[in-house]
Amino acid sequence: MRPFTYLSAPDVTTALRAIATEPGARLLAGGTNLVDLMRQDVERPTTVVDISTLPLDEVQELPAGGLRIGALVRNSRLAAHPAVRSRYPVLSQAVLSGASGQLRNMATVGGNLLQRTRCPYFADGTAACNKRDPGSGCAAIGGFHRGSAVLGTSEHCIATHPSDMAVALVALDAVVEVQSLRGTRRIPLAELHVLPGDTPDVETALDPDELVTAVELPALPVAASSRYRKVRDRASFAFALVSVAAAMEVADGTVTAARLALGGVAARPWRAHLAERALVGAPATEEDFRRAATAELATAVGRPQNAFKIELARRTVVATLHQLTTEGGAA
Amino acid sequence: MSTPTRTPAGAPSSVGGPGGRIGDDAQRPDGVLKVRGEFAYASDLWMDDMLWGVTLRSPHPYARIRSVDVGPALAVPGVHAVLTSDDVPGEKVYGLELADQPVLALDVVRYQGEPVALVAADHPDTARRAAARIVVDYDVWEPVTDARAALGHPTWNQVHDAPAAVTELSRESAHLHPHGNLVRHLKVRKGDPEPTADVVVVGEYEVGMQDQAFLGPESGLAVPGEDGGVDLYVATQWLHVDQRQICSALAMPPEKVRLTLAGVGGAFGGREDLSMHVHACLLALHTGKPVKMSYNREESFFGHVHRHPATMRYEHGATRDGDLVYVKAEIFLDGGAYASSTPAVVGNAGTMGLGPYVVPNVHVDCYGAYTNNPPCGAMRGFGSVQTAFAYEAQMDALAAELGMDPVELRCRNAMELGSETPTGQVVDSPAPVAELLRRLVAMPLPPEPATGDDVDLRHMPGGVSNTTHGEGVRRGVGYAVAYKNVAFSEGFDDYSTARVRLEVVGGEAVATVHTAAAEVGQGLVTVEQQIARTELGVDAVVVHPKDTAVGSAGSSSASRQTYVTGGAVKAACEAVRGRVLERARGLVGRPAGDLRLDGGKVVSDLEGVALPLADVLGDDAVEETVEWRHRPTQALDPDTGQGFAHVQYAFSAHRAVVDVDTELGLVKVVEMACTQDVGKAINPQAVVGQIQGGTAQGLGLAVMEEILVRDGRVQNPSFTDYLIPTVLDMPPMRIEVLEYADPHAPYGLRGVGEAPNISSGPAVLAAIRQATGLPLRRVPVRPEHLTGT
Repeated sequence: MRPFTYLSAPDVTTALRAIATEPGARLLAGGTNLVDLMRQDVERPTTVVDISTLPLDEVQELPAGGLRIGALVRNSRLAAHPAVRSRYPVLSQAVLSGASGQLRNMATVGGNLLQRTRCPYFADGTAACNKRDPGSGCAAIGGFHRGSAVLGTSEHCIATHPSDMAVALVALDAVVEVQSLRGTRRIPLAELHVLPGDTPDVETALDPDELVTAVELPALPVAASSRYRKVRDRASFAFALVSVAAAMEVADGTVTAARLALGGVAARPWRAHLAERALVGAPATEEDFRRAATAELATAVGRPQNAFKIELARRTVVATLHQLTTEGGAA
Repeated sequence: MSTPTRTPAGAPSSVGGPGGRIGDDAQRPDGVLKVRGEFAYASDLWMDDMLWGVTLRSPHPYARIRSVDVGPALAVPGVHAVLTSDDVPGEKVYGLELADQPVLALDVVRYQGEPVALVAADHPDTARRAAARIVVDYDVWEPVTDARAALGHPTWNQVHDAPAAVTELSRESAHLHPHGNLVRHLKVRKGDPEPTADVVVVGEYEVGMQDQAFLGPESGLAVPGEDGGVDLYVATQWLHVDQRQICSALAMPPEKVRLTLAGVGGAFGGREDLSMHVHACLLALHTGKPVKMSYNREESFFGHVHRHPATMRYEHGATRDGDLVYVKAEIFLDGGAYASSTPAVVGNAGTMGLGPYVVPNVHVDCYGAYTNNPPCGAMRGFGSVQTAFAYEAQMDALAAELGMDPVELRCRNAMELGSETPTGQVVDSPAPVAELLRRLVAMPLPPEPATGDDVDLRHMPGGVSNTTHGEGVRRGVGYAVAYKNVAFSEGFDDYSTARVRLEVVGGEAVATVHTAAAEVGQGLVTVEQQIARTELGVDAVVVHPKDTAVGSAGSSSASRQTYVTGGAVKAACEAVRGRVLERARGLVGRPAGDLRLDGGKVVSDLEGVALPLADVLGDDAVEETVEWRHRPTQALDPDTGQGFAHVQYAFSAHRAVVDVDTELGLVKVVEMACTQDVGKAINPQAVVGQIQGGTAQGLGLAVMEEILVRDGRVQNPSFTDYLIPTVLDMPPMRIEVLEYADPHAPYGLRGVGEAPNISSGPAVLAAIRQATGLPLRRVPVRPEHLTGT
C-alpha cells in the first residue's frame, strides 16, 4: 500500500472541502472495497477522507410515505430495518444475499452503490483494463469473461457492477441525494451509474467533488409484493451470475404494476423498463413473463463464456414473477 | 504481537485424558486454540529486531531477463538488503525430485509469479515499496500453455480412430528446459496388447487446476546463528527435505541449517516444495538480522504448487456379462514450469488410474509435461483424484451400456485380497471394495426433496439466495470408489526416525517423543502420544517440538505419517520398554517372564509385581532412537510399468445424493455418505475429521474450485474469486469406518487422509449425471454446463 494522508472528517463540510480541493482524495466509509483495492495498488489515493463518523446513518420516514436512508447506514441495519422488511422486502433480501455477515456489518449504503467492479483484470495491475488504465484495452474480451456483462457493454469494457442492494434499489425507483460545496442535488439511481461506452473509467454521473449523503425510496405500494433472486456459484459469499429484483401487482389475472431490475449483467444495476412495459396490462402467465424477459434481453450480447447468462436471466425473471403471482412477496 | 497466541504446550493439558491410548477418541491440543484464534501460526512469529522480507515476482509467464537494476530499491531508507540470483552462494536451482527451479530467476522466467529478487527492510511496506522500484527489463516470449501441445501431441479428434498407435511424441513446441518438455512418461502394459470386447465405451475427461486453499499463508522466520549458520522456523510438511535443499542453495552443511516447525495452517501437499525458505535464510545471512517472510493471500496463490490439471482419454472393454476385459488410457498432466513432484504424480496417476478394479489387459500412457503455467505438484490424492473422475465416469457409462446397476458392475470387478493390480502387484492385505459399496447401498437415503409449503430454502439448490422453491428440481444418486497408494512408492527409501525417552519427573513417569514429523493439522501429535501411552503404560507424554535435531520423519503426505512415523514411535517405545523391563528383572531378582508397563509401574499379574518406575529408573532416563522403514518397494519396469511399487493401498467409497435445479443449473449436495477401511482407527475422532475434510475438498473440486489460467496467467488469486465450499455447501455426512487389519502395518493401520478426497468428487459427478442425464466430461461442473445454455 502506498503512503497517503489520512483525514478524519468531523463534519460534512470538511469532507466536501477535502474532495473539492484534492483530486487524489478518496472517501473511506466501511472500507470493505477501497482498502482491498489500495492493497492491490489499483486505488492510489493521496488523501483518505474518513467519513465513517459523519451523522449520515439514520433511516427516516418521509412525509409522503417513503424512506430516507442515510449513506452511512450499515448494510446489516438496512436489511433488518422493520420498515424495509415490511414495505420493501426485495431490498432486505437483496442486501442479505450479498457478502458475509461481517462485511455487511461494515459496508455502507453509499459505499455499496459506489463499489468497483469485480472483473479480475481490473484488480490485476499487469493486465489491460480500460477502466483502471484508460486506453490500455480490455483483457476480458478475448480473455476470461464468464462473469462479465451481457447488456450495455462496449468494445472497451464488459465489466459488471457487483452490487445486489443496488439492483433492488433501482427497481424501487430510488433517488440518490448528493452534496457538494456547490449545493445539493437528486439523481435517480437508474442514472447514477453510466454505461462504459468509450470511457469505461467514468463509472457514475457524480462529479469528483460530490458526496452521496442519502438514498430516498418513494412510497411504492407494489413493493410490498417483491422478491430478490440471486444465481451464484455457491450458496453463500459469492457474486451474482444473474440476479433479479421484482415487484408486481396482479388483478384478475392481469399485471397492473411491475418493477423489474437485473443484476450481474451490466455495468449498472439494470432497470428492465422494456420488460415492465411488456408486463403491465398483459396476462400474468409464464408465457407472458418469458415474452417480457425476452424483450428486455433482445439487445444482450453474449460472448463464448458468458452467453449462458442471457438464458439464465430469462429463466430467473420468469421464475421470480411466477413466484410473485403464486405466493405474493411479503417478507 | 497484537493477538495473544499460545503454543499447544501452553494449552490446558486435557489431551486424551488418562485414556488417550490407541483406539480412543483423543482431543487435539491445537483444536481449541485454533477455534479461539489463539493458536500461534508461522505468520505470528516475531522477534523485536527482525526485518521483513518480500519477493519481487515476474509478471510474465515466459520471458528472458535482459537486466535487473536493484539500485533504486537499495536507495529506499529502511532497506537492508536487495538480493538476486547472483547472491545465491550455492546451487542456484532446487527441486524435490529434479533440481530445475531457480532459487531466484536466472536468465529466463518460466511462470507468472516466479521469484526474481528479494528485499529486506525494517517494515513490510518499506520492503514492498522498495521491491516495486527494482527495474527488471524483460524480453517477453510467447508462453507454452497447453500440455499436449507442449509434447507435440496430436489432438484426440485426430487420433480417435487409432488411439493405440500414438506412442511416439514429436517435440515441435518450444523447449522450456534443456531436456525438453517431457517430465515423465509412464507406460503400463499388461496382458493382450490387442484385446477385443463385446462392449466398449470411450470417454474424454478434463479436470481443472485445484488449489490446496490452506488458510495459513507461507510464512517463516530465519535467525542468523552465532556459528555462521541459520535457524529457520517455518510452516512446512517435511523439515529434512527442506533442509537438504536449503543447504544446497546456501552451500552449508546440515549442522549449520537448523529447522523447527512453526504453526502450520493446513498443507494438503502445497508445502512440500520450498517457498520462502531459502529466501528468508539468504536475507538473514546477508543482513545479520532475523528476517520474517509471510505471504499475503494473493502471493500465496503464486507461492505454492497446485493440483495438476488433467486431460484424459479412456477406453473400457467388457464382456456382455460385465467383466472388464481391457482398459486403454492416455493421461496428460500439466506440470507447469518446473518439475516439483510431477514424476511421482505421473507414477500414481498411471498405476492407480484404473481404480480398484481387476483388469486383465491394460494399456496406459501417462505423461507429465512442462508448460508456462503455474507449477503443479503435490496435492492430497496426488494423481488419483484426477483419474478417479475418469475411471468412475467410465464405470457408470459401461453400466449404462450393459444395462447393469453401476454398483453391481463395480462389485463384480472389484479388487479383493489376492487380486492382481494393473501393475502386476498381488494385493496382500484386505481390500473390501465390494463391502464398502454394499454398506453404502444399505444406508438409508435422505428424504425426498420437499415441495410446496414444506420447502426450506436452505435445503434447496441455491439455498437462501431464494432461487428454486422446488420447481425444476431433480434428484440424483451416485457412487464412486477411491484407490490410493499409502506412503512413498517405486523403491523410495521411505523411513521415519523417532527418539523416545522415559524418565521420572517429580515422581511421575513421563515419556518424551521426539520426531521431525510435521503436524499440519491432521492430528499426528495425538497419534504419537497415543502410541507412547499404549506402549509405555504412562499417562504423561510430551511431544517434543518438531525440528531437525532428530533424524528425518519423511513427509507429512501420501497418507503416510501414522503408518511410518507411528511405526517408528512404536518401535522406539518397544526398545525403551525392553531396556526398562530388563532393569526391572534385575530388581525383582527372580524370574518374571510376563513383565509389562502399566500405570507408571512395572507390573506382572502372575508374579504379583507392581514396581513404581521411580524405583526402576531413579534419576536415569532411558532413551532410544529408531529409524524405521516399511517394507521396501521396487521401481516399475520402464517398458511395462509392472512391479511391487506400492506398500499399501487405501480404499474408500462415497455415495452422493444431489438435488439439481435444472432450470438454473444449481446443485445442492443433499448428503454425502462414506465408507472407508482404515485397518485400525488410532484416533477415531480424527479419522472422522479426515473423512469429512477430504469429502469437502472433493466436493469443492466437483462443483466450484478451479484456478483459472489463461495465457499462463492466474485470473482468480483470491478467496473472493477462487471459491471453496462453505458450511452451506457441505451437507451432513453418514460415515462408517471399517477396521480390517493390514498384517504388514503397525497395529494393522491403513493411511486415512487422502482416500476420501478421491472418491468424493466423482460420486457427486455421478449423482449430477443421474439427475440430469448429461455426460459432464469436465470438472468443476458449473451452472452453464447443466442448463444447456
